[in-house]
Amino acid sequence: MKKHYIIFAGLVLMGIFYPQMFPGYLSVAITLLLYAGWATAWDILGGWAGQVSLGHASFVGLGAYFVAVGTSHYEIAPWWTVLMVLFAASLVAYLWGRLTFKLKGPYFTLSTIAIAEIFRLIAINEGWLTGGATGVFIMTLPEPFGLDLFSRQVNYYLALAFAAITVLVVMLISRSKFGYQLRAVREDEDSAMASGINPTTVKLKAFMLSGALTALGGGIYAIFLSFIEPHIIFYLLLSVQIALTAIIGGRGTIWGPCIGALLVVGSGEIFRTTFAEANMLIYGLLIMVVVIFMPRGIVGEPARYLIRRVYAKRAQS
Amino acid sequence: MPSALRADGITVKFGGVVAVNDVSLDVEQGKILGLIGPNGAGKTTLFNALTGFVTPQAGRIYLHGKEITRLPPYMRTRVGIGRTFQTERPFEELTLLENVLVAAFLKEPKRKKAERLAMDVLEKVGLADRYDQPALDLNLARRRRLELAKALAVQPSVLFLDEMMAGLNPPALKGMIGFVRQLTDQNLTIVMVEHIMEAIIALSDHVIVMANGSVITEGLPGDVIEDPRVITAYLGED
Repeated sequence: MKKHYIIFAGLVLMGIFYPQMFPGYLSVAITLLLYAGWATAWDILGGWAGQVSLGHASFVGLGAYFVAVGTSHYEIAPWWTVLMVLFAASLVAYLWGRLTFKLKGPYFTLSTIAIAEIFRLIAINEGWLTGGATGVFIMTLPEPFGLDLFSRQVNYYLALAFAAITVLVVMLISRSKFGYQLRAVREDEDSAMASGINPTTVKLKAFMLSGALTALGGGIYAIFLSFIEPHIIFYLLLSVQIALTAIIGGRGTIWGPCIGALLVVGSGEIFRTTFAEANMLIYGLLIMVVVIFMPRGIVGEPARYLIRRVYAKRAQS
Repeated sequence: MPSALRADGITVKFGGVVAVNDVSLDVEQGKILGLIGPNGAGKTTLFNALTGFVTPQAGRIYLHGKEITRLPPYMRTRVGIGRTFQTERPFEELTLLENVLVAAFLKEPKRKKAERLAMDVLEKVGLADRYDQPALDLNLARRRRLELAKALAVQPSVLFLDEMMAGLNPPALKGMIGFVRQLTDQNLTIVMVEHIMEAIIALSDHVIVMANGSVITEGLPGDVIEDPRVITAYLGED
């Protein structure tokens, strides 16, 4: 476990100096960090607790809309709206989970798509609150300590902090009682109950934490884009991308979602410039290769192989 | 000795089928109750009703005098019931230590202490040397022992064993019988569903024989297996 903290410290340190080294590539890095954070947050529910959600765009949307509508309609500073949305997202996740955790496996996943769609429709149709289909512009933002929140540099550090927080949360969870309860529920709910674990409570906690963290990233996303519209931010595609990022990287691992983000966002960027229109094709192929040859993801598969090989060796000697 | 587990008039129906029909039992603390009967007799259903995985339509269940009839399975674990599953259900992705750790966390929320408890239990069942092996790769006898370790790590007062002996080879069977015997020396109460007569006779203080959902007879193991009704239930009438 110690090595994870060393890797973590190293990455954060690199992250801090990145803007000085590659000032021209800030936007890509921000996208990458946001996806790393979202996928890590998604993975608390999807990977550690084993409940695959294809509705996490709802939480991105909640976070983004709270911040955008807060500043542009009500002149509430983003740090207050972010604080509010942490509570709001937890509450939404709680009610959502209460409603749907009776469903298992793919049925739960389908229900998340349906509920996410409700959020999208609300965002489009309740124009008085959300600006409707045209979306919301963020025209002005406060300047805490003289920081320009519109600047790419500041956006970058916000995204870095977001990604770091989510990874840190997962690192803390992974060794804790809660982390083992999550894994137990994922593996076998009956057996978890025989160990005194209430699966519904554990899943609800995971969903609330996952949703709140995702919403936090959504708030930062809104500041980064400074214009949000429901068709993008509440759309199924975003949910799918968040889930895929975590799945490709390796579900239920600390670094899997980050590696997934590096691959998905990084390759997306490279393919877009070199293959132009064929980029979605390459992207699709990449996903298929990973899913077929590494069903546990890029981090999950070798980790598992190593553990088993080390053990097999010891058993022989 | 005070009663550890008591059940009065348990009835479980699945649709129109009466799986368990008005079964009562009472186990004293530190004793072993054996539950036998041919396949389909309702043993496992009764077992699941007592541990909370099936809701009985009628009857009441008491643990150390407190009613637990309406408690969900995880609450029953918290008040002192431990159980194994007939088809072992290890958390396959986790190591043996982590498997037991999940259960150990119930009474020891601190990681260090929980880990020590889990290791102690693994030591007891003889799996300590494999603590960092993934549970997926275990053979049957070891899966059984892991299942037992998980049930023991919640530190139960009443332990339910569902066909722990089935399919074990003679030395493994002998080992398991010896191990279960040891557990009652520590005042643990045990309810076991079992097909292996050798184990039932060696271990049980009291035996209940079920057929078609009802108790057909009960008593000391030696008396029960010679009861003509039991022989008929197992072999059919001639």
